[in-house]
Amino acid sequence: MSFYAFTGAIEQGLVYGLMTLGVFITFRVLDFPDLTVDGSLPLGAAVSAVCITGGMSPWLSLLPAMGAGFLAGMVTGILTTRLKILHLLASILTMTALYSVNIRVMGGRPNVPLITKPTVIGPVRELVSSLGINPWLASSFLFLVLVIFVVAVLIWLMRTEFGQALLATGDNPKMITSLGVNTSFTIVVGVGLSNSLVSLCGALVAQNQGTAEVSMGVGTIVAGLASIVVGETLFGGRRIVSRIISVVLGSVIYRLAIAMALSMNVFRPSDLNLITASIVVASLCLPKVKTYFRNRSYRDKNA
Amino acid sequence: MPNVSTFKAPALDRYPAPAFGVSEVKMLDATSLVKYFYRGTVNEVLALDHVDLKVDSGQFVCIIGSNGAGKSTLMGCVSGYSLPDQGSTILDGRDITMWPEYKRSKLIGRVFQDPLAGTCASMTIEENMALALRRGKRRGFRRGVTNSERELFRASLAKLDLGLETRLTDQVGLLSGGQRQSITLLMATLIKPKLLLLDEHTASLDPKTADLIMKMTRQLVEEERITTIMITHNMQQAINYGHRLIMLHHGRIILDFGPDAKSKLTVKDLLQRFHSAAPNGSDSLSDRMLLG
Repeated sequence: MSFYAFTGAIEQGLVYGLMTLGVFITFRVLDFPDLTVDGSLPLGAAVSAVCITGGMSPWLSLLPAMGAGFLAGMVTGILTTRLKILHLLASILTMTALYSVNIRVMGGRPNVPLITKPTVIGPVRELVSSLGINPWLASSFLFLVLVIFVVAVLIWLMRTEFGQALLATGDNPKMITSLGVNTSFTIVVGVGLSNSLVSLCGALVAQNQGTAEVSMGVGTIVAGLASIVVGETLFGGRRIVSRIISVVLGSVIYRLAIAMALSMNVFRPSDLNLITASIVVASLCLPKVKTYFRNRSYRDKNA
Repeated sequence: MPNVSTFKAPALDRYPAPAFGVSEVKMLDATSLVKYFYRGTVNEVLALDHVDLKVDSGQFVCIIGSNGAGKSTLMGCVSGYSLPDQGSTILDGRDITMWPEYKRSKLIGRVFQDPLAGTCASMTIEENMALALRRGKRRGFRRGVTNSERELFRASLAKLDLGLETRLTDQVGLLSGGQRQSITLLMATLIKPKLLLLDEHTASLDPKTADLIMKMTRQLVEEERITTIMITHNMQQAINYGHRLIMLHHGRIILDFGPDAKSKLTVKDLLQRFHSAAPNGSDSLSDRMLLG
């Protein structure tokens, strides 16, 4: 694997780590399989790109992007809690609707180019090269700092009273309702929070690659799930702190694994989705296979 | 479970029972509750048939009845899990008839039949107790568990005498069903509730653990003089505990014994009274109720 493939994978792993954290909040914390993310990732990209094109500062444009993601998540949450639509279906409905919304946001076009526009990476690239470091690494540094910041905020949040209520909502909704928490509220806010992180990721990816595209969200949920499963299998842990960190590491390992698979010249880039799905299947059944063989070895000994 | 035999419950007679039927102020005043299931279809069931249930402050009421008698539906109308079709529920002077379940939790502590239902398995003992300590309060961005609260939790867990006070940061999922039910009971009373609802909370436990939980229940309820409603399938348990015994049958209260009548009651009496009071003579009680 070349230096550029390796560092490129690290960069992707870090920026998509933000998305993975969002997916972690729904899938793992709330036990809410949320496919809205396939739509909220390009939504964040579109909102940020349009704001930048309109003259807004690229840093400031991250806020409306996150806000839009939060709203998208809230829609899924409200469809589920108020209208009692199955969570999986509700999120598919929002995701489908977001495709049209995203094109509307981008003024009727399927993409918005940002190549000539200011981005959050530009100043960092200048700073890095003035320090004599390869400017190619600028995005990796920036994303590393952002991911550490978001991880710190999430760890703080999960330890607050609200965060504890969020964790309990996913673990035992009956119990937390009997302790006075409105689970409809925690679900709507939790799914909103998750999607605001996914939109933040989308905005950064768009600025980094120089374009926002309506199709950039395809497969987001599978990649996010793969990163979570890889992280939990390799690093894991019971405490929320180690779980949050392992999820981000999982995202980086996942992108490295993809880069490695592609560098073998056996696979083509279009094989990516097949590889990803295989990684998820393998990681999901690995614990069961382990248990099976462990039990069998005990049985053999006692026979 | 360790130290089962060392658990000591105070004697019942140390605490005078509240006057039965004399007090002016009712803690719970449920009037004429009606609840249908599958209304308007061939499967229509009248689960509650104009049930009146008035409970004095500090009173411990046991409710028995066979399957389908309406115990759980009545409990549901009080806890907010299901809403009545007619009637009103007034708790501590507040009309809570249509309040959503989470909102009633400000006033009501609950323990469920499933010993795993009352705690979060993936969270620690102290986190679970901290969640209970904030029952009915606004949950903002302050710390989920504080150091002063840890002291409080340690002290109240020490009362259980199960050695849990040294395991505050252990995950609840590592504990046994009996230990988890003990913690749930403690959590339900951590902030004194206006009403404590016990929904067959010993039915899924082995007899020894069930006995321990019942002693613990008596201790907690009587220490704080908590108004309590306990559903049970077990006639002996209903006779042994509490100040008042109510029997439900086909959605109606058919027997209601106060403390004096209850103290002389035996399972045999109860059976005889059931057969004479039940409107339909061919009905019989379930084995589970008789055998406990």
